[in-house]
Amino acid sequence: MIFRNSLSITLLCGIFLFNDVFAHHVLGRPAYSLGEDSNTPPSMQIETQIGEYYVTYMAFPAFPKPNQRGRVNLYASRIDNGNTFNGDVIFKVKDDSWFSSKEEVLGTQKIDNGVFRQGFIFTEAGSYIITAEFESDGEPYIIDFPLQIGESDSIGPLGITVAILIFVIVGVNITQRRRLQRIKAQQHHSDSSGDNNV
Amino acid sequence: MFDIFLEFINTLIYAPDEGMVHPGLPAAWVAFVFLAMFLVGVRYAFLYRQNNSERALFKFPFLTTLTKPFITNPWLLVFLRLFASVVFLTVIYAGLFGTAIPEKNIATVLTWTIWWSGVVISIFFVGSAWCAICPWDAIATWLVRQRLWKKARETSSLNLRVPKILRSVWPALLMFVGLTWLELGVGVTVSPYATALMALFMVIAATVSLAVYEKKAFCRYFCAVGRTIGAYSSIAPIALAPVNEKTCADCTTLECYHGNDEVEPCPTNLVMGRLTQNTYCTSCGACSMSCPHENVAWRIRGVGDEITTASRNTALRGRVDEAWFLLGLVSLTIFHGITMMPYWEGSIQKLAYNIGDSGQLLTSFSIGMILSMAIPIVLFSVAIKLTQQLMQTKAEYNRLFSAFALSTLPLAFSYHIAHNLTHLVRESAGFWDVVANPFGKDALPLGMHELHMRHMNPLIADDVIFAVQALLVLFGFWLALKIARQRFHQITSDSRSLAFTPILIFISIISLVDLWLLMQPMIMRM
Repeated sequence: MIFRNSLSITLLCGIFLFNDVFAHHVLGRPAYSLGEDSNTPPSMQIETQIGEYYVTYMAFPAFPKPNQRGRVNLYASRIDNGNTFNGDVIFKVKDDSWFSSKEEVLGTQKIDNGVFRQGFIFTEAGSYIITAEFESDGEPYIIDFPLQIGESDSIGPLGITVAILIFVIVGVNITQRRRLQRIKAQQHHSDSSGDNNV
Repeated sequence: MFDIFLEFINTLIYAPDEGMVHPGLPAAWVAFVFLAMFLVGVRYAFLYRQNNSERALFKFPFLTTLTKPFITNPWLLVFLRLFASVVFLTVIYAGLFGTAIPEKNIATVLTWTIWWSGVVISIFFVGSAWCAICPWDAIATWLVRQRLWKKARETSSLNLRVPKILRSVWPALLMFVGLTWLELGVGVTVSPYATALMALFMVIAATVSLAVYEKKAFCRYFCAVGRTIGAYSSIAPIALAPVNEKTCADCTTLECYHGNDEVEPCPTNLVMGRLTQNTYCTSCGACSMSCPHENVAWRIRGVGDEITTASRNTALRGRVDEAWFLLGLVSLTIFHGITMMPYWEGSIQKLAYNIGDSGQLLTSFSIGMILSMAIPIVLFSVAIKLTQQLMQTKAEYNRLFSAFALSTLPLAFSYHIAHNLTHLVRESAGFWDVVANPFGKDALPLGMHELHMRHMNPLIADDVIFAVQALLVLFGFWLALKIARQRFHQITSDSRSLAFTPILIFISIISLVDLWLLMQPMIMRM
């Protein structure tokens, strides 16, 4: 395997800060679905594979709010023989922001009916990363999943776009005005020196 | 005998055990297309007679009258651009601030299921008309030029010449490959947020290009959507053209190219009177608004005539970058089909397991994408090399490559339409619910029952979809052979030469791959 010492994946950003992506059939990306009877709140689910394992992560509810009780379920089964992983899984959480390195342990869970269940309550809205860690055959597995609590703050991309557009338009206007003034000044200069020669 | 043939076709169809899939072409339609292809192939291989027909434009006064306001009335165009821009900005807002559930957010539903599926189909009927109301170009133009339609001030743009290295469609091809990777690998089509980011990127790219470079370099060189529409529209039976060619021939002022006091010059440097291909026409109406003789109008022509009636000089003057773009279209359209086959994901998972790829399996996806793209290109290159070897009159490889690349265009276009048709008619149910709640406030994901109902009730009856798809494959094959034959005739006088065989085989292989892809059940996108 490529990762000899540690297998770790981050299913967070894809390319540009994906914190609310979705797919019905695409591996490694969140999908939203209703329960079979459609009476339960929608859940968010991510299927992926890492090293020797297929891993499925589910969050209930799909869009938890601050102070709302929620739960993540983790299923891990071996790719080669389908056997379920039955060791301990440690769940941790951290802020999904560039300047935060604070991490808290949510709990260590044992398998219960083929599932590792971890409850949570977040008091503040925001984008979080849930990390699931386990060890199999002497290799550590670290998997990061996104969890959005409350409304996501999507003003960032708009702000960046507006800033780029203003910078380009104003910059080009100023540059072009100066260039035209310089050309006019040069023309004026050459015209007047031509008059002097006459 | 026929039953055995049908049975054999059925063995080529892979039906997954689970999951909801769109049905593929039934075996009977496949058999019909296969037999018809055989007859068309025989005709173009052994019974072909060169017909030196000239490009004919048909006069339909009704069409001219009907479409005239769209290319001569600036305020009507401004209104349409405003409308498209408002919808586009709504898509961005919904993507950023609406629900993350793709089938309940207008950003994903409108962009991928309706617009992208529909715009490719629309090219057949209205050519490059989309470019005339393109919202990212409209927004960029208003921001940079600070005018709704009139000629801009000198200070609005640096008006630099595009560097020589970028004066080709290579940037557009790269963008197309990149967008495909994002669309199918990263999954932008099922992410409202990522769809909005992509839309913002298009606005930024168009604005920066317009602010820095002269005219509309973005439309001509960089925009993957524009270049795709441009390439496909050369097959379309409708295009902007002179009403009277003599008027253009006698014109000395060339307002269509230079513009006038009020109207911008042609944004892509075209002179209407000398236009032999509409690939770079963005249907913006600048030529028709500035022409003092009112000599530009939408005209009807034969399907594919722009290519098949091209003069020898035009045919042999093809550019290598344009040829690569066309091959890119062929391979990327096939790749789209492959990724929606039920076994694609399993193959990528196996590859990922073997190479130790984890997470979104993007490395494995990228390898699959490169391989899928490379195979048609390698096949084409080999076919051209063999043609070159078999020809009695030796022709330069690059010249043959460029000349014959155009014959692949109908293959890409017909398969693209057939593929998109499935998305449009089978996945757009529920569109009006999304229009009523564009941001998906408090919306729930589709339940199994709703999914099943959508699956069972396409907008058009299954039989009609199958018939259209089958005829499209046949049409692509026929037009590709017609173009290849015409090019071959223009390159060599030896029309019965064996040298045509490699191209015939290449076109047949791609058409059969297209047919095979359409036979397979296709995974529902949303």
